Amino acid sequence: MTGRARARGRPPRQGSAPPAVGDAPPQQTPQPLQPQQPQQLQQLHAPPPLSEEPGGHGHLRGFESVLQERRPEGLQVSSGLQDLSLRDRGGRRRDFHDLGVNTRQAMVHVQESKTGFSGRMIKLTTNHFRLTSRPQWALYQYHVSYSPEMEARRVRSALLFQHEEHIGKTHAFDGSILFLPKKLENKVTELFSRTRNGEDVKITVTLTNELPPTSPTCLQFYNIIFRRLLKMLNLQQIGRNYYNPSDPVSIPNHRLMVWLGFTSSILQYEENIMLCTDVSHKVLRGETVLDTMYSLHSQVGEERFRDTCAKELIGLIVLTKYNNRTYRIDDIDWDNSPKGTFRKSDGSEMSFVEYYKKQYNIEISDLMQPVLISQMKRKRGNIQGPVALIPELCSLTGLTDKMRSDFNMMKDLAIHTRLPPEQRQREIGRLLTYIQKDDNVQKELRNWGLSFDYKTVSFTGRVVQGEKIFQSGNMLDYNPQFADWTRETRGVPLIRAVPVDSWLLIYTRRNYDVANTLLQSLFKVSPSMGIRMSKPNMIEVDDRTEAYLRVLQQRVTPDTNIVFCILSSSRKDKYDAIKKYLCTDCPIPSQCVLARTLSKPQTIMTVATKIALQMNCKMGGELWSVEIPLKQVMIVGIDCYHDTVSGKQSIAGFVASLNQTVTRWFSRCVVQSRGQELVDGIKACLQTALRNWSKWNKCLPSRIFVYRDGVGDGQLNTLVNYEVPQFLDCLKSIGTDYSPRLTVIVVKKRVGARFFAEFGGGLKNPPPGTVVDTVVTRPEWYDFFIVSQTVKNGCVAPTHYNVVYDTSQLKPDHVQRLTYKLCHMYYNWSGIIRVPAPCQYAHKLAFLVGQSIHREPNMMLSDRLYYL
Amino acid sequence: MDKNFQEEFTHVIKFKPPLYKQRHQFVKDLVEKYKPKKVADLGCADCSLLRMLKFCSCIEVLAGVDICANVMKENMHTLSPLPVDYLQPSERSLTVTLHHGSVAHKDPCMLGFDLVTCIELIEHLEESELEKFPEVVFGFMAPSIVVISTPNSDFNPLLPGVMLYRHPDHKFEWNQGQFQSWALETARCYDYSVEFTGVGHPPTGMEKAGFCTQIGVFVRKYPQTGESVQSEKPTEAVYKTVFKAVYPSLKDEKYLKNAVISEVIFTAQIIKHRLMSKREEYRDDPERKSKFQPSMDCFPDYLGKLVVKKSMEPFVSGNEVYIPLATIFSVPKVNRLCGTFEKLCKLIAGKVTLSSDGSAVVFNIEDEDN
Repeated sequence: MTGRARARGRPPRQGSAPPAVGDAPPQQTPQPLQPQQPQQLQQLHAPPPLSEEPGGHGHLRGFESVLQERRPEGLQVSSGLQDLSLRDRGGRRRDFHDLGVNTRQAMVHVQESKTGFSGRMIKLTTNHFRLTSRPQWALYQYHVSYSPEMEARRVRSALLFQHEEHIGKTHAFDGSILFLPKKLENKVTELFSRTRNGEDVKITVTLTNELPPTSPTCLQFYNIIFRRLLKMLNLQQIGRNYYNPSDPVSIPNHRLMVWLGFTSSILQYEENIMLCTDVSHKVLRGETVLDTMYSLHSQVGEERFRDTCAKELIGLIVLTKYNNRTYRIDDIDWDNSPKGTFRKSDGSEMSFVEYYKKQYNIEISDLMQPVLISQMKRKRGNIQGPVALIPELCSLTGLTDKMRSDFNMMKDLAIHTRLPPEQRQREIGRLLTYIQKDDNVQKELRNWGLSFDYKTVSFTGRVVQGEKIFQSGNMLDYNPQFADWTRETRGVPLIRAVPVDSWLLIYTRRNYDVANTLLQSLFKVSPSMGIRMSKPNMIEVDDRTEAYLRVLQQRVTPDTNIVFCILSSSRKDKYDAIKKYLCTDCPIPSQCVLARTLSKPQTIMTVATKIALQMNCKMGGELWSVEIPLKQVMIVGIDCYHDTVSGKQSIAGFVASLNQTVTRWFSRCVVQSRGQELVDGIKACLQTALRNWSKWNKCLPSRIFVYRDGVGDGQLNTLVNYEVPQFLDCLKSIGTDYSPRLTVIVVKKRVGARFFAEFGGGLKNPPPGTVVDTVVTRPEWYDFFIVSQTVKNGCVAPTHYNVVYDTSQLKPDHVQRLTYKLCHMYYNWSGIIRVPAPCQYAHKLAFLVGQSIHREPNMMLSDRLYYL
Repeated sequence: MDKNFQEEFTHVIKFKPPLYKQRHQFVKDLVEKYKPKKVADLGCADCSLLRMLKFCSCIEVLAGVDICANVMKENMHTLSPLPVDYLQPSERSLTVTLHHGSVAHKDPCMLGFDLVTCIELIEHLEESELEKFPEVVFGFMAPSIVVISTPNSDFNPLLPGVMLYRHPDHKFEWNQGQFQSWALETARCYDYSVEFTGVGHPPTGMEKAGFCTQIGVFVRKYPQTGESVQSEKPTEAVYKTVFKAVYPSLKDEKYLKNAVISEVIFTAQIIKHRLMSKREEYRDDPERKSKFQPSMDCFPDYLGKLVVKKSMEPFVSGNEVYIPLATIFSVPKVNRLCGTFEKLCKLIAGKVTLSSDGSAVVFNIEDEDN
């Protein structure tokens, strides 16, 4: 809920058709990018006029979301009347909490219990707080109609609130639906008001629903009330969260400012309705888009200026100077300027300069600057379609990819944003104290009959036993607490070492020494791993992309095992060109390394070891394994990459295990342009994966586990209703007698929940292997959390697993254990990672294709981890 | 005038832009003209006029008064500073306050204003309140300018659907004569001059009806009274403050300090960056140096031109880069923020690593390499 939409009351319409079962998913229909022609730009809307400033409509912002009842499967809460009034709003607004998607009820084997049992108990606390309401609490929902019909919401509100003595001071009203904490005397109340024009209006307030505290409408209502509270605490809303502007941390080195704030959501958890709140940091930048443009111009010069601007700026979120709105930059219109005009809602033309002068008294100083275009996904008030923004009036927020890759910047940021468990819990506690101490907030809560438990919820989790790591018959003796076996693998031969008989080593002249040092080191480290490595074909090139490509075209032969390139700068175009050529036209695994990485003598051996391992994986080698007790199982990982820069492509990476030990992976990817559905491509992927599996194993798998990452907030419904049936369809198409057991697990890394282990009076991060499947999970899902990785500083983020489909008949404990095992299998990291290896592989693949290759790589490479 | 003719008119009259916007624009134009620093809006209701006025850069104190606290509370958040106000604090200071109270009562917080606006206010006052109103506004508050607008009942026959008054809460609506005589009398009594105007022109042929909204602009004839006079006045607070927002401003040392430190370090970083990349290029690829230099030098332009004097040149010594404060001070933005070199030194003291003699910003370049 971003809380920006404005609700407009409509009388319930009896005649509208009920939604067909399985009709179009409530997802946004992608809008095709409109060609940027001048006449179209004439119709751009300027940012909303003053009267629409946020908060201007003091009542429920984002109320529409409350009203948008999903079609509940099994959760029948709202009356038909309400449903009807909402239908024509369409599915524009997303439900970020995936309420009303009840997947557990279809899985009989977890009806009774979805908890595991193995491991030792651990005492945990979390960042959840119970929401309490008095007994027999209910929310009363009324429909309000006007006779004669009043159109404007303001008028409707004003007329209704003339009767506060009847309806009380505590109310929430969106123009048509009224929520009250108390029941009115009569089911239907008629009130009479007079408008400014002296017109008499009859208002009919009809009780439509008594909502129990756990109904989805109520839950959304709580969330809105909570937002009200945050606003009362003088926190500023940016995007979805609220931040405290009074004590910012500034990082002048990078011109950044960090605001501390809170994320919040109130949901029905296993036993209670709870508030989940976490510390959030908003990185803001003390410069405008125009400032950035100036400095880019001076850095790259005229020639590459526009391209660089597009690369750096498109996709960023900006904050406008004159109101509290955020916009995403979707395009830059170089042909327009502040002198350009737009059509106002009343039809008249006005230039931007004039508009800002008149509306906000702002003088635009640079009249030559281009205009930023933001495509509105949703209808905002009466404004729809592209919005034009002036760079000078937009402040940047968040970090660009370039900034994220700046090690020093991230280090400086981390000092402020990575809070250790105790401190994080303290900050969270502070919000609760604010709520508890503020009189107005308490009054509002009291009026609604709500209250919080101001103590965090604590419960017991389990730490499952550490997994054994095997490497060529050796069991590695590592400490599961550290979740890392880098040291233990040294000197132990790999499961499958691929000899490097014929390979190219390409470098520029100034990196000649580096290349030699690397070679020496590689020869030193590879024998103990069991890798046979011959002398490479050493080729010196000019430091130009074409030079690299020419060498590749001339020197790569069908026998070449791998191509090694030492690059002197992190210029992306060179890397992209090499990868593109070697992944599509000439399918050979390749390894690119920055010369700088190899330049430090003290680390060269470690680096060389890692490179040797990586090269081996890329050529089809296997490093280590864990015990997988299930037989004939194929494990699938899917992740998506969305190209935010051009906004045109989405890439789904798909990997599937090929062997019993899940050490070899088949991969494919789906490149999908805007507006296309992902699922068709995935179906094809699964088909080829099954073919390959049967080629390797001489039979088809009897069990399939799909780990699906990259599912956004609010997309669960689509996944359950469209993607899962496609998987089943695909399996059916293999053969009539083929019906493997399928398990689909949605993996989510970005969750609000945090767990803290109580340890000697203090709070620590829970150890790797911590499983949580009670209290903070959702009753309507078969879900659990696993903390699999360790972090050096800050708080560890648990990963959420939601089993949306399961015919495996496996116990929850086994599914949890399998998931945890798979987190050990990512070969680019000799330790445990946050997600199951197939998800990380799929991510790597999608990222490589999305960033560099832009089309499906050659199938010749599909049985190797060339994308590492 | 025959009735049909009038009715025809009633359909035609529609103001563009809407009348309330015209009234607001009128106030805004007045603010532009007189540049008052302290402005109070009596009967501010949904705060829409205040919201418009907060963008006027001359205003430093903005206050609203209304008899209904709820309507103010509902909209007061729109008067809070925006995120960007914190990110780029403005030069001027601005405090916005909302008071709950009646214009028939005197409260010391209303003293010292330059402009007081009463837009569509007086017609909502009960007779007893209206009696006290002139004494409170002109006698007690005594701002240099007062603007009063009210409906012109001469215009009412031209408006559709208006039976008695334009709004059910109106206690009266005056015609031009009534308003002007009240205004003239009030002005005379409190030593103000008054001029009449209005917004919402009558249709051609109906000029006699006057403006739809009539406006009186009162200007105080005597000079600003001293503090002493004001202190004699009753000073008991009767208004209740419902909202107060202090906008971040560079006048506040906390924000100025942040802005200066941020600007100093950022500028120093740019200079350092330039210096280092020049060195690196020279070291790595001497023959290429000439080719690359032009593009490096224009980043940013003014820095290239500024670094001329030898004493102001940044230099590298061992693992440290020294960027003289004098160089940084010569950057226009830093210069504008601080004013004097001494102030610059004072503001960044303890927050920026300086050389031992305090004359240059020092960066350690060792850190960069890991």
